[in-house]
Amino acid sequence: MAHQVSVFMENKPGRLERITEILSGGGVNIRAMTLATSSGGWGVLNLLVDRPQQAKDALTAGGFAAALREIVVVQMPDAPGSLGRIVGLLAKSGLNIENAYGTVLREGQGAILVIDVDRTAEAGTLLRTSGVTTLEDDAVYRL
Amino acid sequence: MSGAYWQPEIETMAPAALRELQAARLRETIARAMQSPFYGECYGRLGLAPESIRTVDDVRRLPFTTKEDLRGHYPYGFLTVPPQETVRLHCSSGTTGNPTVIFHDRHDLDSWANLVARSMYCAGVRDSDVFQNICGYGLFTGGLGFQYGAEKLGALTIPAGAGNSRRQIKLMQDFGTSAIHAIPSYLPRLFDEFQALGLHPAEDTKLRIILTGAEPHSEETRQRLQEMFRCKVFNSFGLSEMNGPGVAFECDCRNGLHLWEDCFILEIVDPETLEPMPDGERGELVLTTLDRRAMPILRYRTRDLTSILPGPCPCGRTHRRIDRITGRSDDMFIVKGCNVFPIQVEKILMKIPEIGSDWLIVLDTVGDNDELLLKVEISPAHFTGDMEALERVRRRIIHEVRDEVLVSPHVQLLEPGALPKSEGKAQRVQDLRKKS
Ligand SMILES: [Zn+2]
Repeated sequence: MAHQVSVFMENKPGRLERITEILSGGGVNIRAMTLATSSGGWGVLNLLVDRPQQAKDALTAGGFAAALREIVVVQMPDAPGSLGRIVGLLAKSGLNIENAYGTVLREGQGAILVIDVDRTAEAGTLLRTSGVTTLEDDAVYRL
Repeated sequence: MSGAYWQPEIETMAPAALRELQAARLRETIARAMQSPFYGECYGRLGLAPESIRTVDDVRRLPFTTKEDLRGHYPYGFLTVPPQETVRLHCSSGTTGNPTVIFHDRHDLDSWANLVARSMYCAGVRDSDVFQNICGYGLFTGGLGFQYGAEKLGALTIPAGAGNSRRQIKLMQDFGTSAIHAIPSYLPRLFDEFQALGLHPAEDTKLRIILTGAEPHSEETRQRLQEMFRCKVFNSFGLSEMNGPGVAFECDCRNGLHLWEDCFILEIVDPETLEPMPDGERGELVLTTLDRRAMPILRYRTRDLTSILPGPCPCGRTHRRIDRITGRSDDMFIVKGCNVFPIQVEKILMKIPEIGSDWLIVLDTVGDNDELLLKVEISPAHFTGDMEALERVRRRIIHEVRDEVLVSPHVQLLEPGALPKSEGKAQRVQDLRKKS
């Protein structure tokens, strides 16, 4: 199962910079990221990286609250309406999406979608049996 | 020394005999106190003398002594002997005006050290222990107070001082420290340093007893510290006007603090009417020294709020117990017409694992209204990346604080370590309100 790194972050200048600094200092490469903010002046930064465990350790040592979270990563089919179809499949099975974000791969390789969903194993199986391509963790980290 | 008590004949003295001892010592204390300019004038004017005391309850015939009295007669007004006959002074930091200064002669220091030794023994510290005193020396009484007490007890004592957690841990490991003393707000920081080094105090040191005090803290904080360090945490009480540490201490039952009544008279009064409160009811603690020569203080209003726990303690000590201090009357603040003690907020926060050990109350004026803002650090160990869970924690704090203090707070979640850290006692309330 693939993992993203989630980091608690106050919404104030310099914090995102500090996180990326810690990660590059730890030799970690960021593939994609998204920030979910609350109205209370804080948020959770979700990061797709090549070495999640190292990233979490480096951030913890740097004083941040960081956690590994299981995710499902799917190869976005090159067809109209496919995002809606994926979301619909998960919703119909009662699987709640916490968060989702996409990133474009190298030229000509299409895009991937990172889904933070409860019961990731079940979600992965459901998507695969419905003909959606999911990526194994090795493939995700090598992106 | 290997019995259950440091001084069995005193600690288990029958209550009636203890009261007689107190009455006799009170008469001596009054006679001595009248040699000081302050009490000489005051008691002379009121016609009070040692003979005014038949039983210890007659202490109520004496007027109260306040912090303002101590400040107003700074520095020598309470001395019963010339300053050259004293050997040490401690004083509190006065932010405005004179500090309160307390002088000790050789007898006073011996008596104080004995009370600290008795207190530490009561918590289970023995002469075979290695005791590391992790707190500020100098004018703060927690440093030298515990130092002399632990030496009297016979424990190898490391005067480590405050701060520098890494060095504290090295000392603990190198010398096999089995008991420490530190203020409660510092202990989570020490634990964080253990974790940062990949160590756990329960596995990588011989630590078995933690003594804490100096800052009022809740039972929830003690539970959290015990779970963190996986050892017993004992609460203590003292104040510099009454020597410092060693006034009252928990025994192994950890249910209330035995106040050493051979050396202090214990009263609880209503802070408004100054009438005595029944056992079990909270009021202001009033103390009279019974074994201090250079500078006796009688009926001192401590401003600390507590109650007497009714009934005997299973440990066999007959000296009565006070409940943990729920706050100093000075700590209380008023917001939106409600009286609030920081400890009421603390006990709510310390029950929530997702919240770290550092927090701050900020009072501010927004528009024409007072606002109570609660800044709390989250705990890295319990962070899962789940935003909804944190949002639930925030709402839980708002509801529980509102139910407890009747004011609805704003709650701000902060990154671990975001709040400023002080070397001494933690600052828990910041008042930025416009004074009108
Ligand atoms: Zn007891």
